[in-house]
Amino acid sequence: MHIEIDEISKQFGTTAALTPVSLAIPSGALVALLGPSGSGKTTLLRILGGLEFPTSGRVLFDGQDATGLTVQERRAGFVFQSYALFRHMTVFENIAYGLNARPRASRPPKAEIARRVTKLLELIQLPDIGSRYPSQLSGGQRQRVALARALAIEPRMLLLDEPFGALDAKVRKELRQGLRDIHDETGLTTVFVTHDQDEAMELADLVVVMSGSVTGGRIEQIGKPSDIRARPASAFVRDFIGA
Amino acid sequence: MGKPLIHRSPMPGLGLSMGVTLTMLSLVVLLPIGALLWKGANFGISGIWDTVNRERVWAALFLSFRLSLFAALFNLVFGMILAWVLVRYRFAGRRLLDAAVDLPFALPTAVAGIALTALYAPNGALGSLAAEIGWKIAYTQWGIFVALVFVGLPFVTRTVQPVVEEIEAEVEEASATLGASRIYTLRRVVLPMLAPAALTGFALSLARAVGEYGSVIFIAGNIPLKTEIAPLLIVIQLEEFNYDAAAAIGIAMLLISFGMLLVINLIQVWSRRRIGYV
Amino acid sequence: MSDASLTKFRSAREETPLARYALIAVAVLGLGVLVAAPLIAVFVEALAQGWLAAVASLGNHDAASAIKLTLLIAGVSVPLNAAFGIAAAWFITKFDFRGKAFLITLIDLPFSVSPVVAGLCIVLMFGTNSLVGGWLVASGYPIVFALPGIVLATMFVTFPFVARELIPVMIEQGRAEEEAALTLGASGWRTFWTVTLPNIRWALLYGVLLCNARAMGEFGAVAVVSGKIRGQTATMPITIEMLYNEYLSVAAFSMAAVLTLLALVTLMLKTALEIRHADALAATHRH
Repeated sequence: MHIEIDEISKQFGTTAALTPVSLAIPSGALVALLGPSGSGKTTLLRILGGLEFPTSGRVLFDGQDATGLTVQERRAGFVFQSYALFRHMTVFENIAYGLNARPRASRPPKAEIARRVTKLLELIQLPDIGSRYPSQLSGGQRQRVALARALAIEPRMLLLDEPFGALDAKVRKELRQGLRDIHDETGLTTVFVTHDQDEAMELADLVVVMSGSVTGGRIEQIGKPSDIRARPASAFVRDFIGA
Repeated sequence: MGKPLIHRSPMPGLGLSMGVTLTMLSLVVLLPIGALLWKGANFGISGIWDTVNRERVWAALFLSFRLSLFAALFNLVFGMILAWVLVRYRFAGRRLLDAAVDLPFALPTAVAGIALTALYAPNGALGSLAAEIGWKIAYTQWGIFVALVFVGLPFVTRTVQPVVEEIEAEVEEASATLGASRIYTLRRVVLPMLAPAALTGFALSLARAVGEYGSVIFIAGNIPLKTEIAPLLIVIQLEEFNYDAAAAIGIAMLLISFGMLLVINLIQVWSRRRIGYV
Repeated sequence: MSDASLTKFRSAREETPLARYALIAVAVLGLGVLVAAPLIAVFVEALAQGWLAAVASLGNHDAASAIKLTLLIAGVSVPLNAAFGIAAAWFITKFDFRGKAFLITLIDLPFSVSPVVAGLCIVLMFGTNSLVGGWLVASGYPIVFALPGIVLATMFVTFPFVARELIPVMIEQGRAEEEAALTLGASGWRTFWTVTLPNIRWALLYGVLLCNARAMGEFGAVAVVSGKIRGQTATMPITIEMLYNEYLSVAAFSMAAVLTLLALVTLMLKTALEIRHADALAATHRH
């Protein structure tokens, strides 16, 4: 799905989180929102997911105004920084949650839900952990379960907030490749937030470098990793990517 | 070698603090309870059974535990609503409402008893309203129910409140992004997270209601077989200097309460282990 | 972006406005009927024949002796329980020993015992026809139907109050500060007075406040052990019962109003403590 962000701004009370920003994300792209804390990257992601409402501006999905759509209507697969797994449910129940939450008319039958969950567990390469509880999993396993849970609702896009933030360096490297593989296999438009420039440069097709200031977060540069490395658009970008 | 009974520690005051703790615990709590159990042992199981196994005693025990259960269930639901409203919503008078929840802890039970009676008696402010639709509250089991709800009111709210405060925003948001309606999120995600604390509050409320005396006897009417609670039966036996019978009923009450609390604790241990709090 | 879409937006953690108002209404109405109404009823009934009648009813000899007795009982049992609470919290949090959880359960035991059963236990232990009681009565020190019995009964029902507030606070604070004081050469008592006590004072005050409210208001346990001798062993709550049963409504409710005022002051102090010393009390609210 093609996503267009049109002059979106966000104020929290008197503090500005985002100055009007615009951005077009081509269908099927893997995009990184890269910036230091306070650059409004998470706010932008949450606006895409319908968790925040912009103070001004529009969000367009495939050319259609989606600004007024509720979280539930957006069908955005969202992976939270803390993963936010439901700890009183097994891995299986976590992944099946979105399907079970559908109204009866559109809810798949039990066997179909089980089939899909099994398939997703295979996709994240953890086929045997369905009956475990989140407290019994490692950090990396939790992250992958959160990803599978988000994919289960057949989302129109995948949004990830610092997906590797809580993991140690070794697991991080493995899971990066895992995300790349899943993106390539599903072909979903994917946006992830990170403050780690290596991660953004290595993983994304398109990198959006953001910076923060008292007037709110803004976009410094949009481009392919190689372009940003070769031609940083500002002193901030040059500094931040350490080129 | 096994674990030592008390680990060596550089902290001072072991002898004094242990001495004071164990002496006072024994003198104030353990010896008196021991006296009750000793009395029961002398009276014998058959003596206890013969005392308890009478229609009037069964009726009182059944009434006490049944109405306590209803009152605790009411407080479970109302207490969770209160906790949610007090933590999540901002409105004028919230602080006052929050403070009011504790009144049943602070108000003497005898005061609560006569105040509730004055209020819910057929000629009272609320009792007369109820009387118009033919609903008699004071001097019936409804009156006992109202009094037991009053004394157990704060428990569930006070145990659930801190848990509501600690629910991470992301968990509720995750549920919404997965397409769940607000009701579904509350039912399937929030409620299970509150359940262990709510169960604790429920157990405390139940234990309090079962033993409650002061607030109930004024409003109950105390008609044998109908509105006579178990603690009152003990008082009546004592007034007739019938210590054996009083002890028998007291032991029966202790056993039933501890049995209930044990069951609730087991449920809790099981649910916590399952969720992985431990 | 249209205004309509803005008003439609609801955070993922909020209920619909309608549900919100309905829940607030349930909370306000429930507390109004169950808590506020009885509170008002006490004062309405006390003042049914005017201020003068209410105040006059508190002036007679029996009423005055009940007030004095209640103050005396609280004055004895609350400090004793505070001392116990501090000792128990120190023992439990500063030392490691086997059976700690069991000890805490025993301290909490009075919360799950009916006050009437508590009174019964004390009667059985110290009553005239018990071994200990008979001997004490013969020596001229009766416990039951006298002040010591009432104090014991009061202590039984309020036993866990102070310890319960202190234990979580002292667990949270750990032992490092006391250890530091000891390495600096402070004596045990000095460490307690200058390091521990200042750290736990608000939690201690909080526990004492709740303990005192319950001590002055205890009815069931005291009713069993006091013998209800007018002018001698009738506490304020017992006197309320006697007056009420004699249909002296104004007198009963006037004394009830005095205890209600005490409850309100307790609540106000408690709320003030919670607002001003939230950090010091945080641990007690998490257990």
